[in-house]
Amino acid sequence: MGKGNITVLTDLNLITCIVQKGAADDIVKAAVAEGVQGGTIHYARGTGIRERLGILGVAIESEKEVINIVVSTEMTDKIFEAIYFAGKLDTPGMGIMYVTPLTKAATYIPPHLLRENEPS
Amino acid sequence: MPVRTLKYSKFLKETATNYQYISYNRLNPPSGSPHGAINYSFQDALRIIKPYIRSRWNEQMKVVMPIAAYLALFQIIVLRQQVNEWVQVALGIVSVIGGLMMFMEGLKLGLMPFGETIGYYLPIKLGKRTVLSIAFILGIGATLAEPAIGVLKEAGRIVPPEKSPLLFAMLTNYSHITVIAVAVGVGAAVMLGILMFIYGWSLKPLIFSLLVPTAALTIYASTDPMLADIIGLAWDCGAVTTGPVTVPLVLSLGIGTAGVIKHKHSKRLQGFGLVTLASLFPIATVLLAGIFIRHFLALDIAEPSHTENLISSLSSSTIFEGILLGIQAIIPLVAFLWIVQIAVIKEPIHNQGIIKYGILLALLGISLFNIGLSYGLSPLGNQVGALIPAAYSNIQSLENSPFFSESVGLWVCLLFAFFLGYGATLAEPALNALGITVENLTNGAFRKPLVMISVSFGVAFGLTIGVIKMIFNVPIVWFIIPTYLVASILTLLSDERYVNLGWDSSGVTTGPITVPLVIALGLGLSNASGAVDGFGILAMASVFPIISVLSVGLYVRRMERKKELEGQ
Repeated sequence: MGKGNITVLTDLNLITCIVQKGAADDIVKAAVAEGVQGGTIHYARGTGIRERLGILGVAIESEKEVINIVVSTEMTDKIFEAIYFAGKLDTPGMGIMYVTPLTKAATYIPPHLLRENEPS
Repeated sequence: MPVRTLKYSKFLKETATNYQYISYNRLNPPSGSPHGAINYSFQDALRIIKPYIRSRWNEQMKVVMPIAAYLALFQIIVLRQQVNEWVQVALGIVSVIGGLMMFMEGLKLGLMPFGETIGYYLPIKLGKRTVLSIAFILGIGATLAEPAIGVLKEAGRIVPPEKSPLLFAMLTNYSHITVIAVAVGVGAAVMLGILMFIYGWSLKPLIFSLLVPTAALTIYASTDPMLADIIGLAWDCGAVTTGPVTVPLVLSLGIGTAGVIKHKHSKRLQGFGLVTLASLFPIATVLLAGIFIRHFLALDIAEPSHTENLISSLSSSTIFEGILLGIQAIIPLVAFLWIVQIAVIKEPIHNQGIIKYGILLALLGISLFNIGLSYGLSPLGNQVGALIPAAYSNIQSLENSPFFSESVGLWVCLLFAFFLGYGATLAEPALNALGITVENLTNGAFRKPLVMISVSFGVAFGLTIGVIKMIFNVPIVWFIIPTYLVASILTLLSDERYVNLGWDSSGVTTGPITVPLVIALGLGLSNASGAVDGFGILAMASVFPIISVLSVGLYVRRMERKKELEGQ
């Protein structure tokens, strides 16, 4: 072992969801209610869908919010569903989401989990 | 017995949600041709449109409803009078909300893209002189497009022509002169504001160099009985000008210019001060216009039909007038912006479809807003204003007035005005934004809630003083000169940062809902209590936030210094 310890987390996925500006808060709220630790939101601008929706395109914001939520593999489907319905992603122009597998991650881990994890 | 495990998520997946898998290759096949239009069902269209409208509707409703409900409930519960023509008033308020919603969306889609492009390219491509002249015209055009400007004409219906002929003339026959005077004032303010941004001038000396001549004009006007009537109007006009069109449009130009022409001053206060200038200039120009009309034009007061009955004079002509007013407001501004972008800075206009939609929306919105103003907000404000004196004195048309003993009734009136100001200001969305800005600029020394409370308290106090002015029929000069004197002294003592914040905060308080309501309220109150003119309440509602924010700012500064000293 080197100078310090890193405990690497495994078994996680990243759910990324791109929605219209203003819609992210409800989605994160729904995901948190289902048990995720939190989410990161950043702003973006999207193109494509507005033009193709014709006159209805004016009702779609070109400014978007991109939500990143790290979830455990076991939770992925549950959160996936929660976001799908909270964001009304089955409506044209509402947004898209996708799941990316993550190979490893690191963050603060509560001490009791570390102790349990120690090889005895 | 071996334990078998089943993942809960798998269980849920199987039981709750029906999964189907489709290859993305089918949605996006490698044909190489661009995609055509998306086909959607009627239901889908509704699902897209519903949240689009709902979020924008709610935004305006949150501002309008509490104030309208407060006025109506006060009238029904405290004054125990039914709201006259309440169906019409309710419809009018709905149309105000709808109009404001469409107007704000149209503004964002149709007008702001011009402001951004022009603000960015104009200073790069052209010299200072061209920028300044375009800024001047832009200031005029934006003021004419301000929704609250329509209220001036509306107010003309309520002013008694025999009591104050000059005031009546300025609001009816010569209303175009008044409006142009306001617009020219704003244009000049915008020019000065951009110069201020470019050279990094400080606001303090500018305030004094504007206040001194304005105060001199006011004192001169107060010596002439006819001119004295318009002092309230002139000082109120400053509050009318700084609304949702002028401020963002002009700021984008100003900030663009200041960004291109670099100066050494800190950019932290960029954008501040313009609202202050745009509130001060029109006071002087309206006073000058009044002096001009008084001495050079004939005062024709043979038009009493206007004032007979507010409700009955509303007809199809009012609707037509509202639409006409809207077209007059939007089309010149759009034409000017369009020409500047195409011919002067030679930049193509992107997304023309959406811009045209935005312009149409703004046009419909402001027309609807004007109509709603005439049917809903103005009659409501006017009714409540007319009934207020019944709380403490006997009014012939009401049987059981006064409703309270004189002292109690007076207190009821003052408390009513106080909470109206407090609530209306706290509901104003711009105040929240100002609070955040101020907290950032002062590194957290001036907390956001403190900002919001001091501004709201200032407006509340200002409205109360304004109502006192109406009830006791005191000339408005006696309030304007001392209060602005106090504000000036506080300005001298405060440092530049707080001067900018304090003076700009007064512009925040006067949105397109508060202005018409307060003006209608004042006019109703003045008619009922026999005061000469119903203007001046807004002026008071503008000066007191300055005083309150500057005093709190001074206090915050002192606490900061004390902390620093203790730390050493």
